[in-house]
Amino acid sequence: MIATLAQRLKAVLPDQAVITDPVRLRTYECDGLTYHRATPGVVVLPESAEEIAAVVRLCQEFQVPFVARGSGTGLSGGALPRSDGVLIVTSRMRRILDIDLPNRRAVVEPGVTNLAITEAVRDAGYYYAPDPSSQQICSIGGNVAENSGGAHCLKYGFTVNHVLALELVTPDGDIVELTELDDGYDLLGAFIGSEGTLGIATKITVRLSRAPETVTTLLAAFATIEGGGTAVSSIIGAGIVPAAIEMMDALAIEAAEAAVRCEYPAGAGAVLIVELDGPTAEVARQFAAVERICREAGSFEIRVAASAEERAAIWRGRKSAFAAVGRISPAYIVQDGVVPRTALPEVLAGIDRLQEEFGIRVANVFHAGDGNLHPLVLFDDAEPGQGERAETVSGRILDLCIEHGGSITGEHGVGVDKSRYMPRMFTDDDLATMQLVRCAFDPGYLSNPGKIFPTPRLCGEVPRVRKGPHPHEAELF
Amino acid sequence: MADEALASTGVTLRPAGAQDAVAGVRPRWVALPESTEEVAALLRVAAERDLAVVPVGGGTKLDWGPPPERCDLLVDLCCLSEVVEHVAGDLVLRVQAGITLETLRDRLAIAGQELALDVPVPGTTVGGLLATALAGPRRFRYGTARDLLIGITVVLADGTVARSGGKVVKNVAGYDLGKLFTGSYGTLGVITEANFRLHPLPPERRWVTAEYGTDVRRGRELRREFPVDPGPLLQELAASQAEPTAIELDWADSGDVYTLSVLVEGAAAEERAEAVRAIMTGAELGDKPPAWWGRLPEHVTLAEIRVPPGVAGQAVREVAGADLPGRRLRGSAGAGVFHLGLRDGAGVTGIRARLAPLGGRVTVLAGPDGGADRWGPIGALGLMRRVKERFDPDRRMSPGRFAGGI
Amino acid sequence: MDAELIKDCVHCGFCLPTCPTYVLWGEEMDSPRGRIHLMDQHVQGTPLTPEMAGHFDACLGCMACVTACPSGVRYDRLIELTRAEVEREHVRQPQERAIRGIVFALFPYPRRLRLLKLPIRLGSRMKTFLTRVHPSLGAMAELTPPPARRVRLPRRVAARGPHRATVGLLTGCVQGEFFPGVNTATARVLAMEGCDVVIPKDQGCCGALSLHSGYDGRKFAKRVIAAFERAGVDTVVVNAAGCGAAMKEYAELLADEPEWAARAAAFKVRDLAEFLVELGPVAKRHPLELTVAYHDACHLAHAQGVRAQPRELLRGIPGLSIREVAESSICCGSAGTYNLFQPEPARELGDRKAARVRDTGADLLVSANPGCTLQITAAMRRAGEQPIPVAHTAQVLDASLLGRRVVA
Ligand SMILES: Cc1cc2nc3c(=O)[nH]c(=O)nc-3n(C[C@H](O)[C@H](O)[C@H](O)COP(=O)(O)OP(=O)(O)OC[C@H]3O[C@@H](n4cnc5c(N)ncnc54)[C@H](O)[C@@H]3O)c2cc1C
Ligand code: SF4
Ligand code: SF4
Repeated sequence: MIATLAQRLKAVLPDQAVITDPVRLRTYECDGLTYHRATPGVVVLPESAEEIAAVVRLCQEFQVPFVARGSGTGLSGGALPRSDGVLIVTSRMRRILDIDLPNRRAVVEPGVTNLAITEAVRDAGYYYAPDPSSQQICSIGGNVAENSGGAHCLKYGFTVNHVLALELVTPDGDIVELTELDDGYDLLGAFIGSEGTLGIATKITVRLSRAPETVTTLLAAFATIEGGGTAVSSIIGAGIVPAAIEMMDALAIEAAEAAVRCEYPAGAGAVLIVELDGPTAEVARQFAAVERICREAGSFEIRVAASAEERAAIWRGRKSAFAAVGRISPAYIVQDGVVPRTALPEVLAGIDRLQEEFGIRVANVFHAGDGNLHPLVLFDDAEPGQGERAETVSGRILDLCIEHGGSITGEHGVGVDKSRYMPRMFTDDDLATMQLVRCAFDPGYLSNPGKIFPTPRLCGEVPRVRKGPHPHEAELF
Repeated sequence: MADEALASTGVTLRPAGAQDAVAGVRPRWVALPESTEEVAALLRVAAERDLAVVPVGGGTKLDWGPPPERCDLLVDLCCLSEVVEHVAGDLVLRVQAGITLETLRDRLAIAGQELALDVPVPGTTVGGLLATALAGPRRFRYGTARDLLIGITVVLADGTVARSGGKVVKNVAGYDLGKLFTGSYGTLGVITEANFRLHPLPPERRWVTAEYGTDVRRGRELRREFPVDPGPLLQELAASQAEPTAIELDWADSGDVYTLSVLVEGAAAEERAEAVRAIMTGAELGDKPPAWWGRLPEHVTLAEIRVPPGVAGQAVREVAGADLPGRRLRGSAGAGVFHLGLRDGAGVTGIRARLAPLGGRVTVLAGPDGGADRWGPIGALGLMRRVKERFDPDRRMSPGRFAGGI
Repeated sequence: MDAELIKDCVHCGFCLPTCPTYVLWGEEMDSPRGRIHLMDQHVQGTPLTPEMAGHFDACLGCMACVTACPSGVRYDRLIELTRAEVEREHVRQPQERAIRGIVFALFPYPRRLRLLKLPIRLGSRMKTFLTRVHPSLGAMAELTPPPARRVRLPRRVAARGPHRATVGLLTGCVQGEFFPGVNTATARVLAMEGCDVVIPKDQGCCGALSLHSGYDGRKFAKRVIAAFERAGVDTVVVNAAGCGAAMKEYAELLADEPEWAARAAAFKVRDLAEFLVELGPVAKRHPLELTVAYHDACHLAHAQGVRAQPRELLRGIPGLSIREVAESSICCGSAGTYNLFQPEPARELGDRKAARVRDTGADLLVSANPGCTLQITAAMRRAGEQPIPVAHTAQVLDASLLGRRVVA
């Protein structure tokens, strides 16, 4: 069937845009989460919304599932292909279609990378605010699907707060536009973060933000993670909303040091990166307060970036942290839990206990400002049993987050990896209600099936509109 | 009997009066639930008895929008007005939907925090604000309710209670039902609780306000024109690195001046406001807003205009050029969202035609529509219908209150 | 092939945007991550299919991915090992074999190159014809630089002013034959900065071309090592990016022969810019009123990590201003023999780079690799425009030290 479908695909797409060679197909078997793998049935590399619509319609005709993929950096297996389906890769749709500074927006194709937008408007004094650590490569389409965040989301919000309109190919193969100007249900907002299960974004209008007048970045080193935590609470308590507050623990620092020689202060049990941006006068006042708070919380060394290069140097360690862990451990799991900020100390202590109990090391990197933890659970896959123990620790960390009123994912999405945790966070009714949205968009259950929700539910026919008795008749019963 | 079935839920119930009419349609009962569970119990009965339900918050906008096709039960959320949880250290809040924004503001101020949403109509409840997706001046900086909403509890037409999101600011687990319910006009279910992210109360606020002339004298004749295109000034203000929180315009038909007022808040507001004043000729700086700030214009018919921000200036000129006696234009010039107060609905079609080429939309929020389609074309209406069919297949939730008969 | 090296890749994709073939085609299998995945498939038993080999051949070896990788994946080693495997296992089409044969019989041998200069030049008139026969031949013709007068360099150039160091100079085969002016400028600059420069006569080719294409480069390496040992220097300065990258890897290349590896490790190999910055400037810089675009040659920027030094040297020249070329980390498509074996993508990349260079509006294009400048000017010529004047960093410095105009 896939072979027949591939033939038909070649009729609607250029030949070299349909990949069927098994060796090539396998290079698409996983995204940034290599733990889950499946060789796609066919891969297509379309170049327009119309081509995607044609592919999706063929999938409908053959009743074959399809999965969208951007740059394949997702960390929840959202772009895990289906061996019985089509993988639709947007990496050839990377044109910036319009830059409209008066309206402070840009229109881009889904395969454009996050950073490419900022690079295109930087000279004009603008930027695209959401900045996932993977920004140089992750696609805007992927960002929309995951509602990606980044270090600066504390102040500026996530993808959903910066996308003004979307063109999408619905699971029926129709091309529809959702815009923030429309009245009614905020389908634009509902689509963002739906992980490719409600259709494929083919054109994205993003908000461009004015570059702040001043950016000040400070790196504060603490002997312990608690010291850093106290500083964070005090900063927030002082009514300051920094652009970013990031924290790394000793193990994470060690990895970053090994990878990019970031030269963070020696002997630090934790470093805190605080970035303030905005009008110069405002930043100056807040900066003085932050510096004082860090000292009072016991910081033994504070560095302030004096230039763009120094700022980049401070950030380099943080931004490379995930991949850098590869230097100190053969394998690792990147976790992505969220807890209310005030619960951070308890949860970190809980993670410590788990490390001891299971003999597994955990490096902690987190968006401290919004309580988004990225514990990196380290293990050696050559050692029997370690992988499973790491999995357990990873799962227990999520339990800790849920217990403290948090979430199982702050920015990486549920994907295939965390679908089984969804019932711990939501009731059956919650999930069934979300499923109603799915059914409205994708009643045939073909758009990225098996992701987000633990068990597929059939949508069934739209219940026939019941013509109820007239209200006055109702009284008779 | 439906009466008895409703009464059996134990929820306070009273017969509806004329004052309870929803856009002219009078319900039969008004229920006053005090918890999400009570709302669910009511909706289960309504489902069994096929009663049409309209949720109401402060009742401030019941006369807005088209009348429901039918309306049996008004679910008044006035008694669902608790602050369920406010953890100041986390800057998050969980409230019941019936709480008014004024009450909330006073409560949060004690902790030095605020929900950075404006109250366009006094008495507006959280639920009503979400359902109508109305926003005030500070949308320019903070966005609208959907941008600050982090979790929601809703009761569906069949009485199912569903939650999404949570009480953490960052959370991408599952679909965001909160987004879906913003702007839903009560047609998908009843919002009973909402969670928001909060902001610290800004230490200072300053308004920079200036008036600009609109009339030109041609010989002896006084002609109403709009010689000054506010566009370039608006652009400059919006791009200002003093980072204003709001840029508002107010202009009465009768007056020959329009007013621009810019809010700067946060640390060093005074210095930054000075920077704004340097851009606006003849502006005054003060710590009080103009009287009209954040209020809807007086109206019989009220329309909302939304345009891309870069053409806000042109949009103002288009409104100026239209023949709309007695109109008053006011709104977030920085964000491209205005409210237009009219004496009747007659001008709506015309103004819509003028703004369409700019990529603008005009929606009639309240009052007679003068025969115009209240909503204008909505590209995603087809998908919205499908959502409605799944959530409320029997069309019992505020039927007909939204576009396309939804 | 080394399964451990492959495992270092965590599949994060950070290398993708700097990979020229990914930039061109947007396909996973033509990205570093994809190629590593293919290597993995092969290591795990998938036979080396022609498709697989094609994706390895399409790699420019620009090493941009090495710079971009936060996990420290040694793609340079991986692709070298893979290419060797491809040469061993993969049977190429006869025509392709012929072209590769010609190139490897020619380029590493200065004398053969010299003899061929004339015929190739003639060939450039027959470019269209050659392209029809095989695109590689067309590319070869297009890229051949104009014949240059041979310059005989002395065996030794004495330091001007106080003596600060003694260094050997690698003259390189392509560099030496086609751009003799660069070598003379290099020798002069070094001398003016107080270095005795030793230029062994029988140094031959460094082996870079072979090495980077999966051929055995060891005999070249040994010859170079021996030549500089005889010359009695412990520091070798290299002005051609590709040669420097290759020489810096000698010890690794010869790892199987510990004695040779030790001899290789005894040398300090430095790129000219790297060396001059370490040494520190003493000679007076005369002003040059010039706007230059600096092009990062992959073998310098990525393979050797030398990015800041050339810019620092240029910035040290009064009156000169530097413009950055957009997408500076993306290869121009020259990449050693790449433009000969993979002419189509090489051309596309050349056009892309030429456009970015043009956008800078600079008067002069400066780069440390002759291959790159040839590639970029060829692209400009193709586009029917006057190509931008080009110079090696050494030539710009030379001009400033001498107080003359730049002559490339
Ligand atoms: C080292 C590293 C650091 C990271 N840091 C961050 C971070 O700081 N913050 C953060 O939020 N994320 C981060 N991520 C995760 C990842 O980069 C983001 O989730 C990103 O948005 C994925 O983009 P992508 O193009 O790679 O998408 P893919 O991985 O290809 O796909 C992700 C999901 O999006 C869907 N999808 C892709 N394109 C479309 C489309 N056009 N329409 C509909 N659905 C689509 C896919 O089906 C899949 O479900 C990081 C990842 C890595 C490897
Ligand atoms: S060496 Fe260059 S062409 Fe080859 S994979 Fe790396 S970046 Fe791509
Ligand atoms: S950047 Fe390094 S670890 Fe990441 S995919 Fe590329 S080679 Fe692998």
